[in-house]
Amino acid sequence: MNATPLEVLLFGAAPYAALALFFVGTIVRYRTRPFTYSSLSTQFLENKRHFWAQVPFHYGVLTVLAGHLVAFLLPDAILWWNARPLRLYALEVTGLAAAALTLVGLVNIVVRRARHRMVRASTSAMDWVVYALLLVQVTSGMDLAVSKTWGSSWFASVVSPYLWSLAKFSPEPDRIAALPFVFKMHVVGLWAILGVFPFTRLVHVLVVPNPYLWRRPQVARWYGVRRQARA
Amino acid sequence: MRTRVAAALVTVLSLAAAAGEARADGDADDFKTSCANCHTIGGGRLVGPDLKDVEKRKDRAWLVGFVTDPTGVLASGDPYAQKLLAEANRVPMTPIAGMNAKRAGQLLDLVAAESKLEKSRFAGGAVPDRAFDAKNVPVGRDLYTGAAGLKGDGPACIGCHRVGDTGALGGGRLAPDLTDAVARLGGRKALSAWLSAPPTPTMKRLFPFEKALDPEREILPLVDFLQDAAARHAPSERAPARVAFVLLALGLAGALLVGMEIAWRRRFRGVRETLVKEPS
Repeated sequence: MNATPLEVLLFGAAPYAALALFFVGTIVRYRTRPFTYSSLSTQFLENKRHFWAQVPFHYGVLTVLAGHLVAFLLPDAILWWNARPLRLYALEVTGLAAAALTLVGLVNIVVRRARHRMVRASTSAMDWVVYALLLVQVTSGMDLAVSKTWGSSWFASVVSPYLWSLAKFSPEPDRIAALPFVFKMHVVGLWAILGVFPFTRLVHVLVVPNPYLWRRPQVARWYGVRRQARA
Repeated sequence: MRTRVAAALVTVLSLAAAAGEARADGDADDFKTSCANCHTIGGGRLVGPDLKDVEKRKDRAWLVGFVTDPTGVLASGDPYAQKLLAEANRVPMTPIAGMNAKRAGQLLDLVAAESKLEKSRFAGGAVPDRAFDAKNVPVGRDLYTGAAGLKGDGPACIGCHRVGDTGALGGGRLAPDLTDAVARLGGRKALSAWLSAPPTPTMKRLFPFEKALDPEREILPLVDFLQDAAARHAPSERAPARVAFVLLALGLAGALLVGMEIAWRRRFRGVRETLVKEPS
């Protein structure tokens, strides 16, 4: 199937526009305002729902992104793994479970930001844009995982070659022209997220303190401060 | 002087003849890769009609328009196109990438020339065909699931297609259910021809000419497997398999949430809450 002009624009040109914005935007921001590279955590303002927002979201989204990355970089390895139905099902169930964790976390993030007065006050318009984009991305991905099974296999065999065509600067949008609308929405959502990335708190991804994943919890204690305050 | 003119004339004529042969070869290759998976010329119907003397049934202008844009002609409600669709078990003609009026005209020239022959080279003789062989059903099942790799390294069918109740959670749902593929595409031979050069955009990319399925070791066992599946199972949405898939994933997600609660059970909950409690 030949891609329509709109598909050529969305899947042949838009990826490069998004990537250019991503790279130029993040570099310029880092050089001009390096201290804005932060997740601007509001954990100190509210910590109960924060736990059920951040923890499931981050473990879920990192697992899902890792799956996408492996299917892109090593499609043959995914197809080899999926050559046994039981392994295919295990991979798909794990992927959908990770997506569900992401959604649980994201919904908690949005509810927390909307309901808690102090957290809401520290939420910018771009934060809401990011949450909207992420909600569309996660729900469309889950819809594909359930309604168009088995995504890990067809990603490796159909989508990975398309992504590689982009990486080789020889875009082949017709490779995905025949895929469902929800999938195309998912791809356009990716370009949108990459495009807005430098203008949002998502930049914290680039300066993530990885040891947080395995270091022991840090305990903050106040010694006598509250008693002195009462006095 | 005369000798030189004659030599030049012979050269020009030879080049013209060579160019004509090359074009004929090119058209034959085009027919082989773009048309022969669904049509024969004088060999009977496959997925689509036998094209022998097709221009006696419909005028060239209509045929060029249909070959160039089958989806558009079908969508326009054209009665003859609708008749063809009904005869093909409602399997629509697949648009051919890069097709245009000139190329369609060249293909129709080829069909006209081949129709005059007693036996065309596109009479379907090359299509793998034989009676159903139950011994090959497990071989076909292994090819479908991917347990046995395809010769050309193409992906296994299960990633995108479902077939009856094969696989605990079924096959993929990106592409059509293949349980009734033998009947839907018009029989074993039609399905074999289709598999020898799949015409749909996605399949064409996955199984290009150089990665074509092996007729004896892959196409025929797959057809046997699909015919057996059709005999044993009615095509169905297999909703329980999908529900089971979702429930398994939600169960795992729930278990992971419980695991997070346990892993971080000693996390701070109260001190900070008190410290930052909003004024009432």
